[in-house]
Amino acid sequence: MLGALICLVIIFFINAVASYTSSDQYCMSCHVHPWAEQNWKLSPHHNNRTGVTVHCVECHLPPKGEGYLFAKAKHGVIDAYGYLFKDSGKINWEAKKLLENAKGFTYENACIKCHQNLFPVTLSVNGSNAHLAYLNTKEEPKPNCINCHLIVGHFDRNAKHEHDTNFGVDATASKELFGEATKVESFKNFTEKIPGTSVSFDMVAIPEGTFNMGSPDGEPLRKPDEGPVHRVKLSKFWMGKVEVSWNEYLAFFQTTGSQGRTEGQAIKNKNVDAITGPTPPWGAPDQGWGKGLRPAITMSWKSANTYCQWLSKVTGKKYRLPTEAEWEYACRGNTTTPYFFGGDPKKYTSKGIFKKLFGRDTTTIGSYIVYAENSSSKTKEPVSVKENPFGLKNMAGNVAEFCSDYYSPDAYQSNSESINPKGPNSGQEHVIRGGSFKSDAKDVRSAARDFTKTKAWLVTDPQMPKSGWWYSDCIDIGFRVVCEADSAK
Amino acid sequence: MEKESKNFNRRKFLGTGVLAGVGLASAGLILSSCKKELNNEALGLPPILRGAPKGRKLRAGLVGVGNRGTGAAINFISAGPDLEIIALADVFQDKIDSCRERFAGFQLPIPAENCFVGFDAYKKLMAIPEIDVVILATPPQFRPEHFLEAVVNKKHCFIEKPVCVDPVGARLMIATAKKAEALGLCVVTGTQRRHQEDYIETYKRVANGAIGKLTSAKAFWNQEHVWFRTREEGWSDMEYMIRNWNNFCWLCGDHILDTHVHNIDVINWFMGKYPEKAIGYGGRARRVTGDQYDFFSIDFDYGNGVSSHSMCRQIDSCANSTGEIVNGTEGYTNCINTIWNLDGSVKWQFEYPKDENGNPMNQVKIPPYVQEHMHLVYAIRTGKYVNEAERTALSTLTAIMGRTAAYTGQIITWDAIMKSDMDLGPTKLEFGPVDMIFETPIPGTPVKV
Repeated sequence: MLGALICLVIIFFINAVASYTSSDQYCMSCHVHPWAEQNWKLSPHHNNRTGVTVHCVECHLPPKGEGYLFAKAKHGVIDAYGYLFKDSGKINWEAKKLLENAKGFTYENACIKCHQNLFPVTLSVNGSNAHLAYLNTKEEPKPNCINCHLIVGHFDRNAKHEHDTNFGVDATASKELFGEATKVESFKNFTEKIPGTSVSFDMVAIPEGTFNMGSPDGEPLRKPDEGPVHRVKLSKFWMGKVEVSWNEYLAFFQTTGSQGRTEGQAIKNKNVDAITGPTPPWGAPDQGWGKGLRPAITMSWKSANTYCQWLSKVTGKKYRLPTEAEWEYACRGNTTTPYFFGGDPKKYTSKGIFKKLFGRDTTTIGSYIVYAENSSSKTKEPVSVKENPFGLKNMAGNVAEFCSDYYSPDAYQSNSESINPKGPNSGQEHVIRGGSFKSDAKDVRSAARDFTKTKAWLVTDPQMPKSGWWYSDCIDIGFRVVCEADSAK
Repeated sequence: MEKESKNFNRRKFLGTGVLAGVGLASAGLILSSCKKELNNEALGLPPILRGAPKGRKLRAGLVGVGNRGTGAAINFISAGPDLEIIALADVFQDKIDSCRERFAGFQLPIPAENCFVGFDAYKKLMAIPEIDVVILATPPQFRPEHFLEAVVNKKHCFIEKPVCVDPVGARLMIATAKKAEALGLCVVTGTQRRHQEDYIETYKRVANGAIGKLTSAKAFWNQEHVWFRTREEGWSDMEYMIRNWNNFCWLCGDHILDTHVHNIDVINWFMGKYPEKAIGYGGRARRVTGDQYDFFSIDFDYGNGVSSHSMCRQIDSCANSTGEIVNGTEGYTNCINTIWNLDGSVKWQFEYPKDENGNPMNQVKIPPYVQEHMHLVYAIRTGKYVNEAERTALSTLTAIMGRTAAYTGQIITWDAIMKSDMDLGPTKLEFGPVDMIFETPIPGTPVKV
């Protein structure tokens, strides 16, 4: 009898502890990022007509009986460790707000526990289509509630989840417009002017040469698709000094995109030579970080390719995306080391438990590359980094860059000793290079390869059909242009 | 008896059966329930009723008062006690007048102030608070918008088939069906074969394995030419097309939707799924007006080597028939009343009721067109919820997939048609000239000489 009573008391005590440690006050007592509380109060989960308040644990833990206690223990341990041993000022809170990270501590079951009716009578046609797509998607990549509803728990005034038909419309102030493109007499650096706009950008002359493409077996943290190392000979070409900026991209968008056009709408344009550009984006492609000289992001490979066609047309030169070989040659700038500056990937990387505990070396790499350790999870303007040996900036990091080649993991197998290689003849996805502001140091090595993931990058896009011009789920992709040497006139 | 504690309904049924004492009829049922057989409820089958139960008076409004609309309204009031039609909406005054006349003839006058004309007439009708039920019977182009308006106004619905003409409409129907479900609004659709006792009894046997695993199917609706209107002086483009709606794809969806969707729906029902893709062809040989085909032949691929051949034709003096055949590893069926063994001997046949002279009639006692309204009223009055809108939208989408395959000459997948942005209607609905091109689709490209 006494035993039973003691059991009851203990159960009561555990319950009291569990519910005390699940209160908002308890959460806030350790979670030292005040914006989270402020933005929660501004969000519809706190500020709404019904007067119902949704508390921290109702979203950040699964419902009771669906792994609640396990998740509570797991997050509790991680949070306690962070609270005791980490400097909250140094934690990258911006990164935690990104979708892929938010999925780690926001539980879809918790959303669905309350939001059982996915089809309230007031739901719009777009909303209905999105929810139908959500129900009908049986295979990965599946959309998660927060793919679309990322800001419902913590308000973000920059976030957009709508068809932004006014995107970029007023981006260029009325300045003097260039009448014609820059005339290039000889093969040296020049500044291109886009006719009809006030936008200009620098092109760097890259001399012809032969280099070792790929990474040797002994290079730390390499992946198998980077080998074998093979000799590649390239003709000279110009390459954009920096990644294509919003200023440049919006010049294209404004002249070729038709405002208000939806994705599937046919183009009735009598001028068959006219270049048809992007549809208006879904959401805010610049992520609210600003445009200007920041690299343009989230455009599809097709968009980037169309941009080059347009740029060629308005300037009379031959612009295109770089081949993968041109990209790596330009990035290396005649170096053969993992990076175009000194250093060991093993020292720079943040992967592995020891790195997490004892920190890593960021000194040299941080001055050349915008990557996970120094980016605050955003793109940066090119002024923030130093040039590579060829005088190019942000080849590695900042945003990953499209190449014209299709991606194949064994593309190098057949490439022994080649001249101006263009990659496989056919494929599904294209090569992207250089890593981005999200990347670990190991993925911004000169030889590191990656590729587009079209399906996964369009999960959130609720349009039918999905956009061919903008990726809804990839915020760290951009590109730079090359100009062919024989187009100098 | 097999142990099957999860089958709560059957246990409950057995319990009540024992309590009631074992009558002759229930003895048969108990015997059959000793086998592992799925019952009506487990199979999602509707009740077969002799009439709708008594209950609160239900007032209905009719949207689209042409032949089928007026017919559906009469079916509704014949379904049971205390059912009324109190409002009408249509785009044409003359249609309203003749419908009112017919109801006045039954001594069931419809007040003039409840009759609305125009493209927005349906909104005015649905705004009437006394209306509990709306019957949607306009050309299918308008159905998705009307259904949404009805659900927003919290009306139960009877919806004629087909329920849309394009994928945009199909998705709106599906989403609205889910909204209706969330609100507890009952929806019955005019796919009357699913309410026909002979089909239901055949289905029950096939679903319980009477013909083994299904291997293939055939669906056909081959008939004489259908009605058409030639243009009269003074009619605008819009008026002409709506008066001749059965011959324009943007209004009708072509006859593969208009009529053949019944057969396609039966095949989907028996297969228990929707096809993965379609390939097929069709053409226009003898049609007089409009832009549609008059024959289609489609292969619907249900996956794992199972296909249904769907054909429909509207041409005079050809071999005509309408129906379905489903083949299985152990037999085959016409879906309506007979199951054959593989050697052609009859395995089972539905027993139709007998007339006064004791001769079997070759149809069920209560016309399925009335039976479906009985079901709707039964569902509303008893709370046994029904909502058929989504599945009928999916069968309509199946037909759209077949039509698109024929029009384009391409293989059309379920995934592609489900996500298609095809939207056939004009941007603006108003009487006057219509800026649309009406070319009959021709698949493929011309031979290059």
